[in-house]
Amino acid sequence: MEFSAELAKAIMVAGKAIGAGLAMGIGAIGPGVGEGSIGAHAMDAIARQPELTNVITTRMILADAIAETTGIYSLVIAFLILFAL
Amino acid sequence: MSKKAKIQLIIFLVIYTVVGLLNAKLMTAPPSEALKNIANRWIVQFGPKDAWYYRINPMTVIMSVAVVAIIIAFAKSVHKEFKLIPNRKQAFAESLMDFLYEIVESSVPNEKYARTVFKISMTLFLYIAVSNLIGGFIPGVSVDVSIAENGTRAVKFVLFNDTWFPPTGDLNTNLTYAVMVFIISQYFAIKTKGVKGWLKGFLEPVAFMLPMNIVGELAKPLSHAMRLFGNITGGGILVLVISYLVKYMFLPPFLWAYFGIFSGLIQAFVFSTLAIAYMSSQIEG
Repeated sequence: MEFSAELAKAIMVAGKAIGAGLAMGIGAIGPGVGEGSIGAHAMDAIARQPELTNVITTRMILADAIAETTGIYSLVIAFLILFAL
Repeated sequence: MSKKAKIQLIIFLVIYTVVGLLNAKLMTAPPSEALKNIANRWIVQFGPKDAWYYRINPMTVIMSVAVVAIIIAFAKSVHKEFKLIPNRKQAFAESLMDFLYEIVESSVPNEKYARTVFKISMTLFLYIAVSNLIGGFIPGVSVDVSIAENGTRAVKFVLFNDTWFPPTGDLNTNLTYAVMVFIISQYFAIKTKGVKGWLKGFLEPVAFMLPMNIVGELAKPLSHAMRLFGNITGGGILVLVISYLVKYMFLPPFLWAYFGIFSGLIQAFVFSTLAIAYMSSQIEG
C-alpha cells in the first residue's frame, strides 16, 4: 500500500518534469525559427539601406517580441505544470 | 568617470556584497525546498469565503501605488524646473515623449485621435517600464507564501532574497490594461465608422468569416496580456533560481541587467506599441 502511494507520487513528479521540459523545448522551436528569419531579413534591409538602421532596428525588436509570444506561452504552460498542477 | 559616479558605484558594490554575504549565510535550505513557493501569491480575502470578487493581492496593490508615486514624483520634479533650455531631466522626459509621439504620428495620421492615443500609450509605457525596472533589479522585501494541506496560507516576509514584486508580474494587472485597450479600440471603431460600419467590419471579407473575426478580436487582449505576464514572471523566476544557486554572489547583476532593464524596457515598449497598433487599426481616416 505504502509502496504504491510512493510510486504514484514518483510517476507524477516524473510526468511533470517530462511535460514541462517538452513544453519548453518544443515551444522554443517556433520562436527560434521566427526570430532568426526576422533578424536575417532585418540585416538584409540594413545592408540595402543603411540610413534606415534606426527605424529597422525598432521594428525588428517589435517583431521579435511578437514572434516570441508563442515561446512565452509555452513558458507559462511549463510553469503551470511545474507549480500549479 | 566623475567623482559622483565613482561614489555611487562603490555604494552599489558594498550593498551588493553585503546582500550576497547575508544570503550566503541565510539561504541554507536546499533549492528544491526553498523554491517550492515561487508561484504562490499572498491573497487577502474579504467577506464571503471563496468569493473571487472579494479578493485582493496586497503585494500588487502596494507596489502599484509605489510605482505611481515614483512617476508622479519624477513628473513633479521635471515640471518644477520647466524651461525653454532644458536641463538633463527635462531633456530625458521630452525625448522619451517625442520618441513615442513619432510612432503614434506615423500610424495615426489624424491629429485629433493621435493625441488621445499618445496619452493612453505613453501612460501605459511609463507605468510598465517603471514597474518592470523596480521588479527587475532591486533586491527588496518579498513574500514567501506556503500553502498547507488544508488550504490555509502562511505568509512570511523575506528580506533581500528576491527583487521587489513587479505589479506587471500579476496577470490581473496586465489583463486589466489589455482589456482597457481593447474597449478603447472598439470605442474608436464605433466613433469613426458608426455602429453600422463597425458591425459590418465583422463580416469582411465574406459573411462566412464572422466567427473567425470575433475570435480574432477577442484573442488580441489575451495575447497582449499574456506576453507581458509571461516575460516578467518567467524572467523573475529564472533570475531567482539562478541567483539562488550562486547565493547572489556572481551572476545577478548581469541577469538583472538583461531581464530587468533590457527585457523589461522592451516589453514595456512592445506593450505600448501594440496598444497603438490595435487602436490605430480601428481608426479610419
